[in-house]
Amino acid sequence: MDLFLQTLVNGLIQSGTYALASAGLALAVGVLHIVNFAHGEFLMVGAFTAYWLSVLVGVDPLLSLVPAGALLFVASGGIYRFSVRHVLLAPELNALLLTFGIAITLQNLAVLAFGATPRVVHTAYQLTSLSLGPISVGVAPLITLVVSVAVLSGMYAVLYRTGVGKSIRAVAQNRTGAYLVGLDVDRIYLLTFGLASALAAVAGAMVLVRIGASPQMGFAFVLKAFAIIVMAGLGNLTGVLWASLVLATGEAFVRTYVPGGGGWAEAVFFLLIFGTLVWRSWRQA
Amino acid sequence: MLLQATNLSKRFGGLAAVGGMDFHLEAGEILAIIGPNGAGKTTVLNLLSGVFPADEGRIVLDGRDITHLPPETRCHLGLGRAFQVVRPFLEMTVRDNVMVGALFGGRQRPLAEASARTEEVLALTGLTGRADVLARDLNLLEDKRLEMARAIATSPRVLLLDEVMAGLLPHEADQALTLVRAVRDAGVAVLFIEHVMRVVRDLADRVIVMDFGEKIAEGRYEEVTANPKVVEAYLGVEDAADA
Amino acid sequence: MGGVRWMAPAGLAAALLVPWMPAGGYQQYVVQVATFVLINAAVALAWDIQARTGQLSLAPAAFFGLGAYAYTMAALRGVPLWLAFALGPLAAAAVSVVLGVITLRLQGLYFAIATLAFAEVVKVIFKGLPVELTGGAVGLTAPPLLGGHQTGLYYLGLAVLLVTIGASLAVRHTRLHYAFAAIRQGELTARVLGVRVVRVKLLAFVLSAFLIGLVGAYATSRLFFVIPDDTFGIGISVSALATAIFGGVYTTAGPVLGALILRTLEEGLHILLRQGYLVVYGVILMVVILYLPGGLVGLLTRRRGRDAAAGD
Repeated sequence: MDLFLQTLVNGLIQSGTYALASAGLALAVGVLHIVNFAHGEFLMVGAFTAYWLSVLVGVDPLLSLVPAGALLFVASGGIYRFSVRHVLLAPELNALLLTFGIAITLQNLAVLAFGATPRVVHTAYQLTSLSLGPISVGVAPLITLVVSVAVLSGMYAVLYRTGVGKSIRAVAQNRTGAYLVGLDVDRIYLLTFGLASALAAVAGAMVLVRIGASPQMGFAFVLKAFAIIVMAGLGNLTGVLWASLVLATGEAFVRTYVPGGGGWAEAVFFLLIFGTLVWRSWRQA
Repeated sequence: MLLQATNLSKRFGGLAAVGGMDFHLEAGEILAIIGPNGAGKTTVLNLLSGVFPADEGRIVLDGRDITHLPPETRCHLGLGRAFQVVRPFLEMTVRDNVMVGALFGGRQRPLAEASARTEEVLALTGLTGRADVLARDLNLLEDKRLEMARAIATSPRVLLLDEVMAGLLPHEADQALTLVRAVRDAGVAVLFIEHVMRVVRDLADRVIVMDFGEKIAEGRYEEVTANPKVVEAYLGVEDAADA
Repeated sequence: MGGVRWMAPAGLAAALLVPWMPAGGYQQYVVQVATFVLINAAVALAWDIQARTGQLSLAPAAFFGLGAYAYTMAALRGVPLWLAFALGPLAAAAVSVVLGVITLRLQGLYFAIATLAFAEVVKVIFKGLPVELTGGAVGLTAPPLLGGHQTGLYYLGLAVLLVTIGASLAVRHTRLHYAFAAIRQGELTARVLGVRVVRVKLLAFVLSAFLIGLVGAYATSRLFFVIPDDTFGIGISVSALATAIFGGVYTTAGPVLGALILRTLEEGLHILLRQGYLVVYGVILMVVILYLPGGLVGLLTRRRGRDAAAGD
C-alpha cells in the first residue's frame, strides 16, 4: 500500500512538469494551428540557460526560470518572425517540416556547443526530502510542482481573465473572424508563440533541477507533450491538465510495478499516442 | 428509371438538411433542382455521389442499389459529379486533370485510350488551347469548364452539376448550355442545381423545387414557377400589415 | 524533367566506375562513402514514392530496422544468406500492410505523428526483447553478404539503388502517377472521379516499405551491427525526408542528387565536427521549406527556363 501511495505521489509530482511542458505546446497548436516540433528544443534551451546562469552567475536554477522564460520569449519571437510566420498559410506539411528542421538544428547546435554529456546542478534542496507518513517527497520535486502549478495558474488566468487572453482565444477559434473585428492576428501569433516557448523554457528549468540538462532531452519531452495534447484533444487547453495527470501516474506505475519498467514506460507513451490517434480516426466514421 | 432516390434524409446535428426526398431521373432527361439558399440542394448531390452517407433512404442507379457504396464505386457505375466550388488539382495541368477522370472513372482505361478520351473531352469543352496550363492559373470560366470536363471524362451515365452557371456572363452561360445539351445528346442524363432561371427554363425537361430540405413542387418549368408555394419559398409571404 | 536527364547516363557511368577511381590510400574510404550515398538515396527515393500520395510518413526507421533485423536474425539462425536477404523487404512489407490499414483514416499531421509513434514503439520493443531472441539493447552482429567483399557489396548496393530508381520511374510513368498526384492534391475529389484511394494509398505505403526493408537488409553488411537505437533511429526517417525534400520531392533525380550532396557534406562535416553534424540536415530543411520549395531539381529546371512545377 505504501508503495502504491508513493508511486501515486511520484506521478502527481511529475505531472506538474509534464503539464507545464505540454501546456505551451497546446497553446502553439491550438492557436497557431501548427505543430511546433521545436518545442522540446525550447525546453532544452531553457534548461541550459538555467544551468549556465547557475554555474556562471550563481543564480539558483529555480529562480532563473524567469530569465530563461524571458530569453525564450524573445528568441522564439525572432524565430516566429523569420520563419514560422511564412508557413502558417502553407500546407501543414511545411510547418511540420520547418519546425522539425528548427528542432534538429537547435539540438545539434547544443551538442556542438555543450557536448553530449548531461549537465546537472547541485543545490541544497535537491538532497533533502520531506516525510509525510510513509511517503517521502523530495523537496526539489515538491518545489517544482508548486512552481508548475503557479505558472500554469498564471497562464490560465491570463487566458481566461484578461483582454489579451480573450484575443488569443478568439484567434484560436476563428482566425478570419478575429482579423475582421480588428485584432492584429500576426501580433497575437507572435505573442502566443513567445508565451508557449517561455512555458517550455520554464519547464526546462524544472527538469534541470530534478534531473539535469542534455541536448537530447528535448526530443523525449516533445513526444510526451504530443501524447498529452493528443489525449486531451488538439486545441483543448484545459484537457492538458488531466491528461498530464493520467500519463504521469501511468508512467510512474509502469516504472514501479513492471519489471524492467523504465524502458517500457516510453513504449507506453508512444502506444498511447498511436492508439488515441487511430481510435479517434475510426470513430469519426 | 435511370436514377431513383427514395426517402433520402440527412441530418447534421439537430438540423434536417434533407428530409424524405423522393425523386427520379430518366435516361436522356435533364432535371433541374432549384430552391432558395440553404434548401439542401447541394446536400442532395453530396448524398447521391457518396460524399456523405445518407441517414435514411435508398439510392438506386440503373437497378443497382448504391446507397452504401463509396464514391469511387459510384463513379465506376456511371455517376459523375462536378462541384459547385471547383476543386481542380492545382499542381496538375488541365490535360492531366482531365486524364484523372478518363483513367479512373467508369472502366479503368489504359493510358493510351485515356489520352484519346481526354483530347476528345478537351475539344468538347473548348479547353484544347489551355491543355498545358496549370489548373491554378485558370480563370473562373476555364475553371468551371475543367470541372465539367473532368466529370465528363469519366464517361458517366448520370452527370450531377452544381451551379455551373454561377458567375458566368450571358454569352458564357450560353456556351455552357450548349455543352450540357451536347452531353445529353451523347446519352448522358443530367441532374443540375441552378439559380439562374433562364438556364433552368431553357435547359430543363423537368424541375424539382426544394425548400427546407424537402421537395415542395415538381413538374415543368412553367407549372412550377406558377406554383404559389414556390413563389412563397423564394419571396416569402406578404406581411398582413403591408397587404 | 528533361533538364536533368543528361545526368542519368553520366551518373550511372560514374557510379559504376567508383571502385576503380584512383584515390590512393583513400580507396576504401571512397567506396564506403559512396555506399552510404547509395543507401541514403535508396531510402529517400522509397520515402518519396509514398510521399507522392500526400502522406508524410516517419515510419521509414521502422521498416529499415525491420528489414535489417529480419535479415540478421534469419542469417544468424542458419538461413541461407540470399533467402535471409529476401526476408528483409518481406518482413517490412508485411508490417506495413497492417500499419497502412490501421492508419488509413489519418491525414497530414496526425498521420505523421502516428507513424513517428509507431516507429518509436518498434524501437522500444526491440530494445526490450530478450537478448537470445534479438540481442536486446545491445544488438546483434550481422553476417555480411557476399562474404564482406567490398567491391561486390558496392555493386550490390548499386543494384538495390537501381531497383528503387526503377520503382520510382515506374510510378512516374504509369497510371499510378495520376492516381498518386490526384490523391495528394484532393483525396475526396479523386474518389469522386473514380480513383480507388484506399487501394492506391496502401500500394504506395507497402511498396515504399518493401524497398526500405530491402535497403535495411542490405545496409547491415555496411553497418556490421544491428542495434535498436541506431537501426530504428529517427535519424533514418529524418535523413530520408530531408534528402528527398532537399533534392526535390516527387521526382526521381531529386532524392539521388540530394543524397549525393548531403552525404558527402555530412562526411566532410563529420571529420570536422565529430558530433552534431546533423545540424546541416536541420538547416537545409529550414532553408528548403522557406526558400526552395522545389528542392534542387526545382532550382535546376527553373534555371533552364521551364516551369518548375509542371505536373511533376
